[in-house]
Amino acid sequence: MEKVKQKDLILYSGLIILGLAAPYLFSAFKVQLTYLCVLIVLAMTWNLQGGEMGYNTFGNILFYGLGMYLTASVQVGMFFSLAEWTESGGEKTFVHTTAQYFQGIGVGLLVSAIVPAVIAGAIGYAILGLRGHYFAICTLGLGIAAGEIAGGIEIIGAGQGFTTPPFPAEIVDTEARGKFFYFLSFALLVGTFIFVKYIYGSRFRLILNAIRDNEDKAEAMGIQTMKYKIVGWMCSAFFCGLAGGIMGGLIGYIDSTDVAFDGREMGVFMVLMAILGGKGTLWGPVIGATLFHFFKEGLWTLILGWQYVALGVLIVVIVVYFPEGLMGWLREKYPERFGEVIDEKDRKAQVELK
Amino acid sequence: MNKIAKLFVTFFSAITLALVSFTSSFAKVDGEYIVLGSAISLTGKYSSNGVHTQNGYNMAVDRINKMGGVEVQGKKYKFEIIYYDDESNPKRAAQLAERLIKQDGVHYMLGPYSSGLTKAIAPVTEKYKIPMVEANGASRSLFTKGYKYLFAVLSPANQYLEVAIDLAVEKNGGKPVKIAQAFEQDAFSQDVRLGILDAAKRTGSEIIIDDKLPKELNDMAATLAKVKAVKPDVLVVSGHTKGALTAIRQISEMKVDVPMLAMTHCDAAKLSKQHGKKSEFALCASQWHKNLSYKDKFFGSGKKYAKDFQKEFGYDPPYQSAESSAALLVFKDAFERANSFDRDAVRDALVDTEMQTFYGNIKFGPGGQNVAKPMILFQVRCKGDDCENRVVAPTKWASDKFYHPIPKWSERS
Repeated sequence: MEKVKQKDLILYSGLIILGLAAPYLFSAFKVQLTYLCVLIVLAMTWNLQGGEMGYNTFGNILFYGLGMYLTASVQVGMFFSLAEWTESGGEKTFVHTTAQYFQGIGVGLLVSAIVPAVIAGAIGYAILGLRGHYFAICTLGLGIAAGEIAGGIEIIGAGQGFTTPPFPAEIVDTEARGKFFYFLSFALLVGTFIFVKYIYGSRFRLILNAIRDNEDKAEAMGIQTMKYKIVGWMCSAFFCGLAGGIMGGLIGYIDSTDVAFDGREMGVFMVLMAILGGKGTLWGPVIGATLFHFFKEGLWTLILGWQYVALGVLIVVIVVYFPEGLMGWLREKYPERFGEVIDEKDRKAQVELK
Repeated sequence: MNKIAKLFVTFFSAITLALVSFTSSFAKVDGEYIVLGSAISLTGKYSSNGVHTQNGYNMAVDRINKMGGVEVQGKKYKFEIIYYDDESNPKRAAQLAERLIKQDGVHYMLGPYSSGLTKAIAPVTEKYKIPMVEANGASRSLFTKGYKYLFAVLSPANQYLEVAIDLAVEKNGGKPVKIAQAFEQDAFSQDVRLGILDAAKRTGSEIIIDDKLPKELNDMAATLAKVKAVKPDVLVVSGHTKGALTAIRQISEMKVDVPMLAMTHCDAAKLSKQHGKKSEFALCASQWHKNLSYKDKFFGSGKKYAKDFQKEFGYDPPYQSAESSAALLVFKDAFERANSFDRDAVRDALVDTEMQTFYGNIKFGPGGQNVAKPMILFQVRCKGDDCENRVVAPTKWASDKFYHPIPKWSERS
C-alpha cells in the first residue's frame, strides 16, 4: 500500500471531522445521515463486485436482508424466546435492559457479518461459474427467493414482520438512539472505506480487474479466478450484512420483502448509485450515493407521486450521458487531473472491448 | 489527486452549506394552524387505499375548519396536514415519520395506511412521545406492544372475519365447518388469519386449506383449484384491495362453487362496481357502513357523509375514508378537552376519549385499540346489474338477511 499523501491526509481528516461533527451540526438530519452512510457502504461493496470484478450482481440485497434478520434475531434470541417475541398475538411484552440491548446488537452485528460472508462463499461456489447476464439474472432471483422464504418462516415473524428491540427506555435522551445508529453506521463506513482503499492498493484488485477485463486470459495466466471471485463476493457480503444489521435496528421493523430483501428499492439503488458515481473507482460510489441520496431526499417530496418517474428519468440520463458514471466522465474529460497519461488508441480499444 | 481533492472539498462544503441553510423549524402550531403530519401511501401497492385515507383526512380537515375549527384556550385554530408519500414501504415510512417530527416539527401524527406501515411508524412516534391517532393499522400486534401514544379508531384485525365463521357454523346447524383460507403475507392479513384460527378452534371447525399469497397478488388460481377439488364450506380470502379483486375475478373465471365466500376490503376495491354481478353474495368485513345509525354534528349521519364524500371525490366512501375522517374528529375532541397543545396533555385527553362519530363510537382500550365499535359484515347483492353492499350482521344493524348458500355458477345467470 502506498503511503498516504499529505494532501490526502488533509482530505481524509477533514471528512472524518465532518462525519463526527455532522450529527451535532445537523441534529435534525441524523436519520438521513445514517441512511447516507449505509447507502455509501452498499454502493462501495456493490462496486467491489460489479465495478472491479465485472460481475453485476443484484444479489447483494440478500446479504443485506440476512444481516438485518440475523442481528435482530440474535439480539432478541440471546435473552428471550424468539418464537414468543415474534408471535403476533403475543400478549407478553419483553423489555431489553440497556446492557442486554447493546450486548445483543454487538453480537448480532458480528453474526450478521460472518454468516452472510459464509453464505456468499457457498452460493458463490455454486453460481460464480456463470458469467455476464446469466450471473446477473441468477442473482436477481436470489433476493426475490429470499424475500418469499423469509415471509414464510414463522420464527422470524413471517408475513407479520419482525419488530426489532426498542432502544432501551432507561436512556432518557431522545437523541441518543439517533446518535448511536449514526456513529455505528459512520464507523462502518470508515471501516469499509479503509478496507476498500486497502484493496485498491493491492494485487487483489488487479486480479479482480483482470477477471473483469478478460476472465479467460486471467485464467490462462494462472490465476485461480474462481477463488478470487468467491473471496471478492464474500468481502461484499461481509459489509452488506453489517449495513443490513444496522438498518434493521434503525428502522425498528423488518418486513420480509419491503424492508429486508428489498430488491426493488435498495437492491436497485445500490447498483444505480455505484453506476451514477462511476463504477470501478474508489470515490465514484461515495459520490454517487451522496448525490443520489440528496436527490431522493430533496426532490422526492416536491414531486409527490411522480418520484419514480423522476427516478426513471434519472436512470435514463445516467445511462445515456454518463455511462461511465460521474467519475468516469470526469476522468474522460480531464484525464491529466487523474494523473493519467492516456494513449488514445489504447483507450478506444478498451472502450470497444467493453 | 490534488485537484480531485479540491473538487471533493468544494462538493462537501456545498452540501454542508445547503444543509445549514435549510431552515427546519415549522411549529407544531403555526399561527392559526395546528399542524399534523402523515406519511401516506400515494404510490406503490397500497396507493388506492392510501388515497382513500388521504381523502378521508382532507374531507374532515375541510369540514372541521369550515365549521369553526378547534377551540383551544378561547382561540380558534384550523387543522393543517403535512403529507409525505411513503411509497407503501415500511422503511420509508419510518424515515418519513422521523422527518416529520424532527425536521418539520410536527407534534401530532395521523396514521399511515396499513398495519405494516403503522408498525414501522409507531416505534418512532413512541420514541418522541408524539400522539398518533391512526385509522388504518388494525394488526393486533400493534396493541400488545404497550405503546402509550398510539390510538386506533378501528377494531383490531383479528376481529374482521371471526364473525363470518360463526355465521357459517350457525348456517350449518351449529355443526363445525370446513374452512379454506388464503391470506396475503402481510401484517394485516396474517392477523385476520389468526382471528380465523381462533374462531375455528372455538367452533371445532377444520381448516382444510391454509394458503399464503404473495404481496401484490394478482393470481390465486392454485388455491382456487384446490378449493374446487376439496369443496370447503367457507372460503376466506384477505389481501387488501388487490386480493379482493383477484379473488372475485378468478372465482368467476374458474367457476368455483363455494357456499360462502368471506373477504376483506370489498368496498375499498369497489367490488360491486368493478365486478358487478360476479361479486354477488360475497361477504365482506367492514369497519363501517353508511347505513349504520351513528351520528355526529360535523358529518351528520353515515349516509350524509357518503353523499358529501361522493360530491367531493366522485366515489362512494369506503370505510378506509370514513375511519380516517373519524381520526380527525378524535383529535379535535382531544385538543378541546385538553385545552392545551402540550403533547402529554393531548395524549391524556385521548386516553379519556369517549364519543360518538358518524363512523361509530370511539373509546380506547388500554392497548390503544377502539373497543366501543363492533365490526360489521355486509353482503354484495344485486338487482339486475345494479349491485350494492347490504349489511347482514350483526343483527342490530342488519338491513337484509344473509343469503346462504351461494348458488352454483351453473345456476347463476
